[in-house]
Amino acid sequence: MNALTPLSARLERSDGHALVTLARSRGAVRLRDLAQRGSAKAFLPRVEGDVPEVVFLNTSGGLTGGDRLSYRLELGAGCRATATTQTAERAYAAGAGAARVEVLHEVGRDGWLDWLPQETILFEGAALERETQISLAPGAGCLMVESVVLGRAAMGETLSRLAFRDRRSILRAGKPVLVEPLALDDRALAAAGGAAMLGGARALATLAMVGPGAEDALGPARAALGEAGVEAAASAFDGKLVLRLLAADGWPLRRQVARLLTVLRGRALPRVWQV
Amino acid sequence: MSAALLSLVQWLSPAFPTGAFAYSHGLEWAISEGEVRDAASARRWIADVLAFGAGRTDAILLAHALRGHDPEALSDLARALAPAAERLRETEEQGAAFAATVAALTGRDLPPRPLPVALGQAAAPLGLPVAEVLALMLHAFAANLVSAAVRFVPLGQTEGQATLAALHPLIGEIAAESAEAPLDALGSAALRGDLAAMRHETQEVRIFKT
Repeated sequence: MNALTPLSARLERSDGHALVTLARSRGAVRLRDLAQRGSAKAFLPRVEGDVPEVVFLNTSGGLTGGDRLSYRLELGAGCRATATTQTAERAYAAGAGAARVEVLHEVGRDGWLDWLPQETILFEGAALERETQISLAPGAGCLMVESVVLGRAAMGETLSRLAFRDRRSILRAGKPVLVEPLALDDRALAAAGGAAMLGGARALATLAMVGPGAEDALGPARAALGEAGVEAAASAFDGKLVLRLLAADGWPLRRQVARLLTVLRGRALPRVWQV
Repeated sequence: MSAALLSLVQWLSPAFPTGAFAYSHGLEWAISEGEVRDAASARRWIADVLAFGAGRTDAILLAHALRGHDPEALSDLARALAPAAERLRETEEQGAAFAATVAALTGRDLPPRPLPVALGQAAAPLGLPVAEVLALMLHAFAANLVSAAVRFVPLGQTEGQATLAALHPLIGEIAAESAEAPLDALGSAALRGDLAAMRHETQEVRIFKT
């Protein structure tokens, strides 16, 4: 038993599934179905305006070997919604096998989803396989952000052991329009200081927008960059806007991501995002 | 030497009109920023892009195309994997030029596709070992980047060739691993390589298309 991995000693593996279905009826987007099991929960806080917010959370206190977690949101035709997670997700050293997380969202015709989970913090020895897939019906769009922090800079941690596979994909009418298979293992970490790799960054994020108007957001997105301590760039192509961001620590990255989201959404961040 | 191998060597040579010399894969930005400034930093940059970026990704896509995996689905995937506008342009323009030239030479019907898929479709009937085709593709990709570094870092001609030779063991490893890898094994960590491609879009003085 490794003294640095107290949570991997936990005997029970967590298993959680949360599914939220929203549909448009009587002129508003309403909750049609909410199913939750095990460590996964979802709730809809009261919000101002007509765009509902769905907050997912994992009550197990973090992910470790063998854990299973799934979040799903189904948005009916013409529905617009924001979904996020209540806190940062933590992946701890895995005792046996990898933790598996599945995030599968569906956006109905002409709908729009902002999927804005808070960051994932990886600890030394973590093994996490996550699949995030947003399926868009014709006319639908989404904004997605994924942030990953490698250890805690304040604690002087530098990771050397990791089995992290984080595949993000966005499909339009069943065809992939964006696939980003981030993979960080021991070999990649050993090379992470390279100028073509992470260049020593410990915090990384991807922000992507797919759908009507996505390419037009390039100018405003570029104008919203420039947060001190963050290296970032944007590109618009093939009906999408993609931004890559890197920073030495999670905090400047979070401020930059928050600024971008505020500009791109034209509205305040979900309340659970405390920036 | 088999006729099949000679065909592949011809298709992957710098003289084959895919216009490869015009695409730097973001390296032009890295050179202009001084991040790639000598043989050692050029070798490191290219090695990381090969092992953790487009090199390995394209090798896995190519292996699937060689084995006859649905080229339409692979093309969609290849386009979706492009992390930036110029990287999409790089794979689509070179793939289209490659397919058109092989079609003209062989009389085969080869539609424009992203480069690894176009190459896989063209090379499948050659019947060469998959890992061998992958290694030659990776070698051509690395040689093109080394040539950009030789011209613009600049590096001496011999220094450039030594840089390329030093990448041979890595190229062999990636080819062997990617030949057997499923599509689920696609993975990238060359994030600043992608960032370089994005930043190249707004670079003021540019000689390369990407």
